[in-house]
Amino acid sequence: MKILDKGKSLLRWTACLGLLTVVIIYGMEAESVTGPWTEPEGKRPDVITIDAMKVFGDLERPAVIFLHDRHTEALSSKGQDCSACHLKETDTRGQERLSIKYKRLQDTDRNEVMGVYHNNCISCHTDVASEGEKSGPLVCGECHREKPDIISSGQPMGMDKSLHFRHAKAHENKCEQCHHEYDEKSKALFYAKGREGTCRYCHMEETQENRISMRNASHIACVDCHLKTKAKESASGPVDCRGCHDLSVREKIEVVKDIPRMERGQPDIVFVKREQPDPYIDPEFKKEISENLMDQVPFSHLSHENANDSCRVCHHAGMESCVTCHSLKGSKEGKFVRLETSMHKIDSDMSCLGCHETKKDDKNCVGCHEPMATGMKQRDPSSCVTCHMKPLENIQDSAQSPVLAENSPNNEPTENGSVHKSDPLAQMVLESRMPITATYDEQDIPEKVIIQKLSKKYEPTELPHRKIVNTLMKNIQDSKITQYFHQDPGTLCQGCHHNSPVSKKPPSCESCHGEVSEGGYPYKPGLMAAYHNQCMGCHDRMGIEKPATNDCTGCHKEKNK
Amino acid sequence: MSISRRQFLGWLGAAGTAGAGAAVGKKAHAAATKRFEGYPDSNGVLFDSTRCIGCRKCEEGCRKVNELPEPERPFDDLTVLENKRRTRAGVYMVVNKYETGENGKGPVFRKIQCNHCLEPACASACFVAAFTKTPTGAVTYNESVCVGCRYCMIACPFEIPTYEYDQPLTPRVEKCTMCYPRITQGLLPGCVEICPVEALSFGKRNDLLREARDRIQKHPKRYVDHIYGEKEMGGTNWLYLSGVEFEKMGMREDLGTTPAPDLTHGALSIVPMVVGLWPVLLTGVYAINKRKEKINKEEKERAVAEALEKATLEAQAKLSQVMEKAENDKKTAIDTAVKKALEEAAKKESDDKETS
Repeated sequence: MKILDKGKSLLRWTACLGLLTVVIIYGMEAESVTGPWTEPEGKRPDVITIDAMKVFGDLERPAVIFLHDRHTEALSSKGQDCSACHLKETDTRGQERLSIKYKRLQDTDRNEVMGVYHNNCISCHTDVASEGEKSGPLVCGECHREKPDIISSGQPMGMDKSLHFRHAKAHENKCEQCHHEYDEKSKALFYAKGREGTCRYCHMEETQENRISMRNASHIACVDCHLKTKAKESASGPVDCRGCHDLSVREKIEVVKDIPRMERGQPDIVFVKREQPDPYIDPEFKKEISENLMDQVPFSHLSHENANDSCRVCHHAGMESCVTCHSLKGSKEGKFVRLETSMHKIDSDMSCLGCHETKKDDKNCVGCHEPMATGMKQRDPSSCVTCHMKPLENIQDSAQSPVLAENSPNNEPTENGSVHKSDPLAQMVLESRMPITATYDEQDIPEKVIIQKLSKKYEPTELPHRKIVNTLMKNIQDSKITQYFHQDPGTLCQGCHHNSPVSKKPPSCESCHGEVSEGGYPYKPGLMAAYHNQCMGCHDRMGIEKPATNDCTGCHKEKNK
Repeated sequence: MSISRRQFLGWLGAAGTAGAGAAVGKKAHAAATKRFEGYPDSNGVLFDSTRCIGCRKCEEGCRKVNELPEPERPFDDLTVLENKRRTRAGVYMVVNKYETGENGKGPVFRKIQCNHCLEPACASACFVAAFTKTPTGAVTYNESVCVGCRYCMIACPFEIPTYEYDQPLTPRVEKCTMCYPRITQGLLPGCVEICPVEALSFGKRNDLLREARDRIQKHPKRYVDHIYGEKEMGGTNWLYLSGVEFEKMGMREDLGTTPAPDLTHGALSIVPMVVGLWPVLLTGVYAINKRKEKINKEEKERAVAEALEKATLEAQAKLSQVMEKAENDKKTAIDTAVKKALEEAAKKESDDKETS
């Protein structure tokens, strides 16, 4: 009897706990809250993730976070150099250099490579520790960590014009010391004069057949050369990680301002090329292309060279002209991005419009341009002619005369014998448009504008209209891109007098903005918000700190009671 | 009758498991694929944090139109923003400042008030239906039915409803009403009306969504590509645009898109069942105990009877034994006496013979 009673109460308790579990699990599902991911506090530019074992299949343990600069510093304090970890190998030109692999030349097999790391790392750490010094980990989990406590702050490195110039100068214009091509037959590197391009055209993100990755290529070539130069005790480039990958250190690298043009046979002013139709593939195409396409865009290659830091900005995959890959109909080489798209794609840094769009972020431009919809002008068909300029009728014939072409000053060979060709017609079309940032005459710009529609609590506000226009003008008038795109005197006014036709006397704000907003779609702010957003927004974006956004009396004089 | 605490809990546990098992298994929704998208033409407010300048005018407007108590510190004292605040009794909304550390950009401000969920958690948790989701979009509160359980405060994922703890006799739950009395008269909510930069815009929720999408599309660099409140907790009538991740403005990004009632109806649906089961359950417990007592009583009676019988039998046996013994004794005594008498008689006879 007694035993039976106990059994019953046990059963009840089980049921009770069972219910509790069900309720908790059910409740947890509803309430489950995962903590936000917090990134590790430690950040260093010299973080290398050792995942060399990946070539042999999936990793058994988490990859190891390795701090390269910390190791080079520790070794050099003991009088050791790179050879403590890196073996010597012979490159394709028969020259000796350091391998970028750790303590080995080849990835032979899984166990051997694993042994190389384990034996050498651990034995060195043990030796250092036995000397009573601070040393690296000796236990598996301290190197192979699931959650590393340090993440990389390393910034990608690249050549800009200044850096290229300094290298060219140091190597006495011997381009072949860096630039090369690969010969399939002889399986060797050779130098092809006049075909130099950026490393990244061939060396991609990942190592491909007979082409090592950009990462490996740059570390082998750059660091090795820097090391050799340093050994000769002459000034060399960085040999540690932070020298290139830490922005604060990299900023200290000297920047040369006046750089002579790179000589690569590039033109000065030409029309943006379109492909010649191939009559065998598409006989109809020839008819269309000759008559119905947009007017060609005259393009100053020279100005764009000056405005950009490297050729890669536009020539993202090769030094050929755009049309080589981006044909009118799209081709496989150009990933089926048609010529039209490649020039107009607004969210690409490589297209004309995309790159011009980024220029609007300049401090002097952002005040007016930020509130405008991204790429809005692009949708306005009348803005096409800004680039697709109408051919000049009266000089079309004369431009084709050989006399004019020969007299074009830019076709003269430069000092070092290089020729930059120009298309005389393109040059004439482009130069028919004088680069000028235009605005109305001083007396046509109202000096002051009194805003009194809303003055209930405050006195009417006096807007120093002419002063604002003049300041904006002063900021931008020397910018070349502005000079091309602000040629109409009313263009500048549209920064504030937006969404209405360009005019010397633009309609007043209350033409569109009611005293309060009506809501609905599209949403139009009421007059007060319209004023506030324009003034405060512009001041904020242009970094004008006074008057502060919350200081009402900075703009409005309080009414006397 | 008596039930021990342990016994009672035991029974309750058993009943609960049965109830929960039945409730967790299936959804109560008739059409699970169809979602309530909010009342058609319901109103909302779009808060664009890229426009907000943190002037606290909305707080002032809110106090004025809702006739709330005067604040401790005046509304133009912007040092208030240095602390993170939340809604409380007499304060329907607050503006907080967040330093996001985005490359050189200044702080961002967020206005905190009731989000007026399409399917409000507060309303689903309230067992007296003190909260109503009105077709205007506003979630309103009826103090005359409120019992002050404050389940709404626990249920709200945005921690909005507050309680008048300082009103011991007539405490109310307080929260933003989207200025329900004003919007039904065609007026703007107090905060929206006063905002000097229209960081707040009032309108039909659908229009506001279109407007928000439009702004994101026209200014992809200015905004995070997300409208907070479009889907969060099944959607809210208050919508938010931001230039920084919403989490950096202290807004929860872990809420999911399921309306609160969907999350709780499973567990809450047990409640009526448990309530319904109670009479049955308690009657059962009573009956079982009653029966147990009856059996006990019967057993006891039987045992007593048995014991009695046994005792009687034993006594009888003992009595008969004693009686027998007494009989024997008596017999023996008689025999002895007879024998003695006989002997005496024989002796006397022989004496007589000798003398004679």
